[in-house]
Amino acid sequence: MTATSAFFERLTAGGPDPRFNKVRGSVRFDIRDGDRVEQWLLTIDHGDLRVRRAADPAGTVIRVSAQVADGMARGEVNGLAAITRGEILVDGDLALALRVGRLFPSASDPGGPPTTKNTS
Amino acid sequence: MRDVPGTVSCLDGNTFIVSDASGDVESSSSAPVGLFAADTRFLSRWVLTINGERLTALSVDDSKYYEVTFFVVPGGAVDYVQADVSAIRRRRIGPDLTESLTIFNYGDKDLDLDVRLEVAADFADIFEIKFDLHDKVGCHYTEIEPTELRLGYRRGTFRREVSVTASEPATFGPQGLRFALRLRPGEQWSTRLHVVMRALRPDDVDLRLALRAQRPSDSTLPESVREWVAQAPELDTDSVPLQQVYERSLVDLAALRFAPLSLGGATVPAAGLPWFMTLFGRDSLLTCLQTLAVTPSLTPPTLRILASLQGARRDDVLEEDPGRILHELRYGESAAFEEQPHSPYYGTVDASPLFVVLLDEYERWSGDTALVVELEQEARAALEWIDRYADLTGTGYIWYERRNRATGLENQCWKDSWDSISYADGRLPGFPRATCETQGYAYDAKIRGARLARTVWGDPDYADRLEREAAALYDRFNRDFWLDDRGYYALALDGDGTPVDSLSSNIGHLLWSGIVPPERAPRVVEHLMGPALFSGWGVRTLAERQGRYNPLGYHNGTVWPFDNSFIAWGLRRYGFSAEAGRIAEGIFSAATYFQGRLPEAFGGYDRHTTRYPVRYPTAGSPQAWSSGASMLLIRTMLGISPHEDHLAVDPALPSAFGRIALLDIPGRWGRVDAFARQRPDTQRSG
Repeated sequence: MTATSAFFERLTAGGPDPRFNKVRGSVRFDIRDGDRVEQWLLTIDHGDLRVRRAADPAGTVIRVSAQVADGMARGEVNGLAAITRGEILVDGDLALALRVGRLFPSASDPGGPPTTKNTS
Repeated sequence: MRDVPGTVSCLDGNTFIVSDASGDVESSSSAPVGLFAADTRFLSRWVLTINGERLTALSVDDSKYYEVTFFVVPGGAVDYVQADVSAIRRRRIGPDLTESLTIFNYGDKDLDLDVRLEVAADFADIFEIKFDLHDKVGCHYTEIEPTELRLGYRRGTFRREVSVTASEPATFGPQGLRFALRLRPGEQWSTRLHVVMRALRPDDVDLRLALRAQRPSDSTLPESVREWVAQAPELDTDSVPLQQVYERSLVDLAALRFAPLSLGGATVPAAGLPWFMTLFGRDSLLTCLQTLAVTPSLTPPTLRILASLQGARRDDVLEEDPGRILHELRYGESAAFEEQPHSPYYGTVDASPLFVVLLDEYERWSGDTALVVELEQEARAALEWIDRYADLTGTGYIWYERRNRATGLENQCWKDSWDSISYADGRLPGFPRATCETQGYAYDAKIRGARLARTVWGDPDYADRLEREAAALYDRFNRDFWLDDRGYYALALDGDGTPVDSLSSNIGHLLWSGIVPPERAPRVVEHLMGPALFSGWGVRTLAERQGRYNPLGYHNGTVWPFDNSFIAWGLRRYGFSAEAGRIAEGIFSAATYFQGRLPEAFGGYDRHTTRYPVRYPTAGSPQAWSSGASMLLIRTMLGISPHEDHLAVDPALPSAFGRIALLDIPGRWGRVDAFARQRPDTQRSG
């Protein structure tokens, strides 16, 4: 399984996300690997996130290469920077795309809040 | 209209052109001269010649921010100009640039003219200019069509392109375009040049297309500015300088509005020309706080975009944390390729508490509880960030120590230059650091967050908790930061928890936040208005006789109008009306020396010594929070503040002003007027 598939599988199993409580919309990821295009449809309905493989029309479409998608799933890609340099193509609601971008991990995440230094 | 100045700027949001007085652009490696959009220079050369001669400006009209007219003649700046030929360059900026060129022959002979426009584009990122870097990784390209010159830059999938076209027949070449004309005596000739800037995706879709659709076009821009001014309250005063500053500030705030790509057309204030033409968390929040009485429409989109880009995870390059509000957002090459961490960068410790402060202050003015409901989650996350992620030592304060050692900011408070935080003897403290004003913002954010929780979110338990935390912070802060022998608050605590004992303007912000016990306020005020801090124009960032004091030190002795406006607000909060008035009088007097446009900062020299405010060499202008400063100072003189469903007015005019009225102040009360008049008998507040 690719990092991308694993990421979407995790999303499917993750249940509702309170960060999307006020969001309603659909985002389709078109992931190109050579001649093959893998499509994932993410629908958001007030915190309820559903992901499935589908080619249905969506309000926002995000086009990436499989390589960039795997990088995102591993937390190695800064989404906004990748949009600015033309590696991620967003058509539709850019604000929603950026919000969805928050679901992706960060590879340089040290994990949890900072450890406290003792100054005394 | 004014006589030939050094450089001439023309701007609209984050698109701007800076040229010399004749309208020419000749980029130098480190000067921010050229045509810019999205943090990229799209024209680095734009030079007009007639028969091989450069032109000299006779006069320049830059009275409108988006339009400049240059009246030029061929030849150098000599005593006598043989002006048979003259020209007018009228330049207007919107999402793109248009320039109308008209050439006159007022001589008595037919003239054959070779008119050339030299064009080059280096596509430098604003940070390459700032740090004087030259080696570009990608490739430049030139495409010449019969009616168009296209210059481009490509680095992988990153592509930026500029296109130049003209309304009259021209010959296009790699170095620009030329027109061959023959003018009879008394004849004139015109052409309209169009410069389009594109940020192209691999599928040739322009990222700036949406922007172009959203921004007012060339033809509707003047109307949109008139509308902006008409929406704002009218200032009626006997002070001509005050009127000038108010009108200039209002128009400059219009000039700095820009529509970030991710906001669907709503506009937020860019921080300042030329280095800060983008979204900054701190600058935009403070600008909104300053301008609620005048231009409240800036606030909802600012809060919304900061909320939409709020930190969601931990990232040591971007210095992102869950709940953290961003510092800076950029679209240039260095951000795109992550050579700079600006996509977005989160290295600020004050934007998160200020986000909550603005949300509350906005609701007090507008009664817009819907926005408070909409942003509840983000406000709670920002409050949680204070305790969970910013308290690096477990001592109950907001601390900072950069995690991005390569390109992160050492100081993450508003004084963010490397040497801005020092002990009185000039030494630099260790990390982490906790600056005093940030603790004040945190205290205020908790108090205000509690009000929102109780009155809008229906969560009294959370409100109680925030109030308990605020009370504990108040006690702790007044124990650890107060230097009783000096009578002021330490600038910061260092990594060991030792007070950083400099006397600085930061203590003025503490009054605004309300974290100073009333019995201590007089001693703080004595320092703020004493000769070491108060220059006569305003409060210096750092007091005289401190180790690093320098009247031209960016954060170590200059006077910042925005800083002073918050100090004046704080002084009024504690009842020091006369002192607040002295600051307002000083800053407005200084503004008259800058044609009504307050710069980012000016020199900290004593007013009685220099008699005029000394220009700070690289100060940004216009600067959003300097324009906002005049609005906040008017607010403090009028003593206006929302009180439940009405606007309370408690004027206190300094003697320099006889009468100030602000008419049609918008808010939850509809629109109301506020008046202040000098009492002739006492020459005191009226």
